[in-house]
Amino acid sequence: MTYTRQTIDHSRRRFLINTGWLAAGITALTSCSGLMPVLPTTANPKDEDGSSWIQILADGRVRFLCPRMEMGQGATIGLSQIVAEELGVDQNQIDCLAPDSGQLGPFKMTVGSEGIARFSGPVAMGAAGLREHFRQLAADKVLLPFDQIEDASGGFIAAGNFIGYGELVPDQARIIGAEYRAGVVPRFADRAGNSRAIGKSWKSPELENIVTGKTIYSRDIDVPDMLYGDIVRPPRFGATLKVAINRGAETLPGVVSVVIDEAINLVAVVAKSPFVLADALEKIETTWQSSADETPDDVLDVSLYRTKGDFEHSLMDEGSAQSADKTAIAVASANYTTSYMAHAAMEPRAAVAWVREEEVEVWCGCQDPYFVRGRIAALLNRDQKEVVVHPLRMGGGFGGRVLCQPAEEAAMLSARVGMPVRVQWDRETEFQHNYFQPKFSHAIDCGLDEAGRIAFWRHDFVSSPIIFGLVPSPFASILDAFVADEGTARGADMPYDVSEHKRVRYSDIRTGIPTGAWRGLGAAPNTFAIESTMDELAHAAGKDPLAFRLSQLENNGSNSRRLSEVLRRVGKMANWGQSVVKNLGTGVAAAVYKDQTFVAVVAEVRIDQQRQQISVTRLWCAQDCGLVVNPDQVENQVLGNLIWGCGMALKEKLTFNEGAPGQLNFDSYEVLRHAEAPRTIIELVETSGTPPVAVGESAFAPAVAAIANAAFAATGKRPRQLPFDYDSLQIQ
Amino acid sequence: MMKLNGKQVPVSKEFHEISLLDFNRDQVLLKGTKYGCGQGLCGACTIHLDGIARRACQLNVADVVGHEVTTIEGLAETSGRTGSDDLHPVQKAWIEEAVPQCGYCQPGQIMTAAALLRETPQPDAAQIRTGMNGNICRCGTYERIHRAVARAAREDQS
Repeated sequence: MTYTRQTIDHSRRRFLINTGWLAAGITALTSCSGLMPVLPTTANPKDEDGSSWIQILADGRVRFLCPRMEMGQGATIGLSQIVAEELGVDQNQIDCLAPDSGQLGPFKMTVGSEGIARFSGPVAMGAAGLREHFRQLAADKVLLPFDQIEDASGGFIAAGNFIGYGELVPDQARIIGAEYRAGVVPRFADRAGNSRAIGKSWKSPELENIVTGKTIYSRDIDVPDMLYGDIVRPPRFGATLKVAINRGAETLPGVVSVVIDEAINLVAVVAKSPFVLADALEKIETTWQSSADETPDDVLDVSLYRTKGDFEHSLMDEGSAQSADKTAIAVASANYTTSYMAHAAMEPRAAVAWVREEEVEVWCGCQDPYFVRGRIAALLNRDQKEVVVHPLRMGGGFGGRVLCQPAEEAAMLSARVGMPVRVQWDRETEFQHNYFQPKFSHAIDCGLDEAGRIAFWRHDFVSSPIIFGLVPSPFASILDAFVADEGTARGADMPYDVSEHKRVRYSDIRTGIPTGAWRGLGAAPNTFAIESTMDELAHAAGKDPLAFRLSQLENNGSNSRRLSEVLRRVGKMANWGQSVVKNLGTGVAAAVYKDQTFVAVVAEVRIDQQRQQISVTRLWCAQDCGLVVNPDQVENQVLGNLIWGCGMALKEKLTFNEGAPGQLNFDSYEVLRHAEAPRTIIELVETSGTPPVAVGESAFAPAVAAIANAAFAATGKRPRQLPFDYDSLQIQ
Repeated sequence: MMKLNGKQVPVSKEFHEISLLDFNRDQVLLKGTKYGCGQGLCGACTIHLDGIARRACQLNVADVVGHEVTTIEGLAETSGRTGSDDLHPVQKAWIEEAVPQCGYCQPGQIMTAAALLRETPQPDAAQIRTGMNGNICRCGTYERIHRAVARAAREDQS
């Protein structure tokens, strides 16, 4: 493979604005909407959607077509518990299935820890509606009034006799669903009664399959007569194929087809055996040229923009500050940086596609099967109705599987050979050809008034688009100028009281590096900057960091109270404030995730001077996530969050060199390993009467900041760049 | 021939240079052993070669001719217990502790744990940490893995 570089002007949006292209572009866009790219599925679920997800079969079993894709977060279990609660059935009476894209209408992509938070309501409404529908069937059968049909496990009791759901399914119908009933009252949120399923630690029915190796992930799917394909992918982001010369790939045994289509950058081999693919691709010589070789570090530096006040978006600008600045008794002013990071899910993605004249079938794990369907339909110029995506369990997602690129590759190849084709990414491809968590560069100025309250807080940062990261050019330039990326700004509104001036400004700048959703989006980078600065402010004022935080949480109603409560709780759990031990430090941090989940973490960090190493020894976490549907699942999620936080603080960093990642496997992109994992102590605080909320990415943002603050407590050196280690802190 | 999960499997010469991982998954169609990194860095493909935990991605088929290979599918039979259920004590402990999140790395974790316990039936905490350190779990279930290994050791003793 050879590679030539061609430097082309990076026409960013300021250029577009200045030259008036933007207005023209918008007009052109709206007048021919057929040009709009296929977008991820973003509409939130509504109560009435739930009725199409749940059915009862003739044998009385419940079929739950779960509208969440499973990648280990456990939403399928929690939602099954809600179904069970409403219908009064046990876990073994529910078949929770992943629906094909043809079985249900599009539902929102599985992102943002919304599985329970957003879908529990519609699922409960659907199940409760079905229950009331069956109550009516029972009433009709025994000729008693509706309100004399009482609830029972797996059915009803009428005039002293039990009637199971199955008996109420008419002979001619094998399955019964129900229309939406607006008036029904779901009971899952009311735990005053004896709850059957809510608050119980149901185990995943998949556990036995997982531990025996029987679970089918994307890489494990076998379709009869399937062929195997692989592709030569561009060596740099945005590189285009200049020329490809085949030197006999088709002569290797088993090779069915050699595909070279320079117009669409496609160089591929399809074979009867997967074992010949690598050798066959070796026989094709490719030359690429690149249109972008921007170094993101030159662009994503907040100081470049701060001097001119040149930010694209103002998240907030409340009050004004002139007097506060002059009378401040303690100030902090600092820059913080976080790195590009990869999802590095344990299962590198894979898919099988089978393109036939009447239908296109795709088997793959993805967070948005409808997005995959739409993209493949567009790619093959087919109607979306002709494309069916069969979703599979994912070996980790973390935001990285909104797209399923190998499904698109497999579809292109299957369309050419007329047989089902499997494409699997190897680890290096997984690192190189997905999208990434962008780097963040922050600057925060803040100060305290004479009463010790935060008088002003001015936070500026630059990063890249996250939610809109996948929008292709040229639409991206137009979109970015008008829409602030909320994903980049997630967690940037700090939760503490500010008396005089609170301002948050940012820019979401597109570089040559593809960026998109990664666990928590902006929450961890923003929380790291905010909670490190809070720590600096506390130290500048000579206050205890935990007491200091509590003293700044008074004016924001229940949010202040709930955050204070988890802070106090975690302080108690960790025995906060005990005497200082040499080379051991504790730090605290807190955050509110998506304005709904309240988390506080205390970290204990040990400095090994002899080995010159920093390790996290213990993490305490108190989390208020409202009603807890499945305590064990939630605790497992919090555990995963805390470990992820250790990795982000101490390990994970992706660098780029001429448009390609410098780390392509776990030797250079390090994630936290078993021996480095701290002991965790987790408590869930359930504020009564509050609904279930997000838990999949709530605890790791404060974990990262708590670890950094603990390192400061242990060493007196403030980690300003993540990841950090013994050397970067210059401890000696 | 190689012995795979107790059965003799013929291995023709054409497959000798293929990795044992690819051979098991795509030729024998035993898909329980997972690909994670292809370089022996993550442990997802851990199998037992003559009872010792090895990375299937780092072995060629030629390396195992005449040897005994056990994958996650055959682990239960090696436990020497023909009880009422079909699980190895380590698999049972994994379910008891509800270890998995996504579950993809867990067959490899379990194979490493089973080999560790065969070598060191009663490992202390440090031995578990060292013994399990080669297996990455991106979901971060290490603490539960640790508990499950300790449980399997405990229950094996009783």
